[in-house]
Amino acid sequence: MGEKTTTGKAERPRRPIEILRDRMGGVSKELQASVKEQGRIRKLLRGALAGGPRTVPELGAECELPTTTVLWHLMAMRRYGQVVEAGEAGDYVRYALKGSE
Amino acid sequence: MPEIRKRYDALVIGGGITGMQAALDLGEQGYDVLLVEKYASIGGIMVGLNKVFPTLDCSSCICTPRMAESAHHSRIQLQTWAEVRQVEPEGDGFVARIEKKPRYVDEDMCIGCSKCELECPVDVPHEFDQGLGARRAIYIPHGNAIPQKAVLDVEHCIFCGKCEKVCPTECIVFDQQPEQVETRVGAVIIATGLDITPMALKPEYGGGRFLNVMNPLAMERVQSSNGPYGRVLRPSDGKIPRRIAYVQCAGSRDRSIGIPYCSRVCCMYSLKQALLLRHYIHDVEVTLYHLDIRAFGKGYEQFYRRTMNEGVRVIKGKVATINEVENNDLVVRVELLDEGGRVDEHRYDMVVLAQGLIPAWHARGVVACDEASDGFLTTPEGKINPSFTTLAGVYVAGVAAGPKDIPDAIVEAGEAAMAVAGRLQRIGWHKAPAVAAAAN
Repeated sequence: MGEKTTTGKAERPRRPIEILRDRMGGVSKELQASVKEQGRIRKLLRGALAGGPRTVPELGAECELPTTTVLWHLMAMRRYGQVVEAGEAGDYVRYALKGSE
Repeated sequence: MPEIRKRYDALVIGGGITGMQAALDLGEQGYDVLLVEKYASIGGIMVGLNKVFPTLDCSSCICTPRMAESAHHSRIQLQTWAEVRQVEPEGDGFVARIEKKPRYVDEDMCIGCSKCELECPVDVPHEFDQGLGARRAIYIPHGNAIPQKAVLDVEHCIFCGKCEKVCPTECIVFDQQPEQVETRVGAVIIATGLDITPMALKPEYGGGRFLNVMNPLAMERVQSSNGPYGRVLRPSDGKIPRRIAYVQCAGSRDRSIGIPYCSRVCCMYSLKQALLLRHYIHDVEVTLYHLDIRAFGKGYEQFYRRTMNEGVRVIKGKVATINEVENNDLVVRVELLDEGGRVDEHRYDMVVLAQGLIPAWHARGVVACDEASDGFLTTPEGKINPSFTTLAGVYVAGVAAGPKDIPDAIVEAGEAAMAVAGRLQRIGWHKAPAVAAAAN
């Protein structure tokens, strides 16, 4: 007979990912907040870029985000194939969603 | 990856250009070498540089063949993502204790397909791009990395398990643990390379506070075609910069910050970057403020002249302060030394600080060889045996011994390798394959 829990069900063996997560003390509040913020910013940027190519200052103004934050996220999206360059406007580069340029 | 064996002829600490060259020079002579690198790829600083002076050769084009050669050499065993914790004399040689850090990836199984990286939902500032670009929480270190194997940054992992689900070879190993390994070696070469002086040492220049004050390694990445922006932009708003200043000796030759020495490469890397900016942005104005230009190497003076001929303004002046004004532009206040000390102010889109070199690693607590007051390893016979440290059998090469450029570091790596070969024969540590076969 296997050992029974108080609910009568045998406990599922813990997966290595769960053991590591516990060993790391779970996901920190700071990391959770940062990932949530990343999702919010990406949604804003995708929304603005759906209206056509934009420069970093244009995206900053439209999404009410600091331009340095826009640039970092835009470059992350570029690196992972979601955003491409779409020409220049004065001193700035215009960016577009991949496939829409 | 093969396990670390019980015995090698030599241990090389550091997998940058110096360490790779030392390992290759020993391997080519038939010595067995363990090459330990703390980062997840070999290549060091050099593989992240854009071009090298004075030839303007592509840096990674020179470095990556050395990386591949080191990785595939039958006499060299690579151990990346590992740190040497202790080296102690034992008999004629040394016992080295090495910590293999968990990659949370089975290196033998990983095929470097990047599927885990593409699926990971967490973006993190990428150290390789000086934080200007992004990587994922699980990532291949960079495009030229060797080995092309993923590594999990567990501090930024949200344990969603997506990497595990998409991995075609089931190589994610969440229960990997740090591993302590011991091996015996006949000699050690320390080739741990450089870091740059902290920006915080010069608060009057605003480094770390003002977005468009940049360190020189960040500019290397920005200028690289595979860099964070894919072209030269400034970090505050992605503007194509039209006015850029370089501030020389921003972390060297300055007793007030405890770094009295000249770092030897700052003049040349600044001139190189300034010239390349003129190539990349056709109407850019680049001004380099210096105390005096030190262009001491082969072809360097000619390169300095070429830089000026191609439109870089080189001005003898001591920069006092950098202040941020509207649009994150920067105002440089400078004392013009060739104009009787007249004080002038100029506005720029970006400023690069020519920060100096400091050692990236310290021997204290790991191996009993002395460091000088500047933190670089002491070389008591610097004139005639420049790779000798204060501990017999432990040698040093490259910037770990003092600031120097790439050619000098490579020459020193060869010298250290020859010194190790001599020692191994002298103490009878190494048996040539023919002798070993006869003995068996």
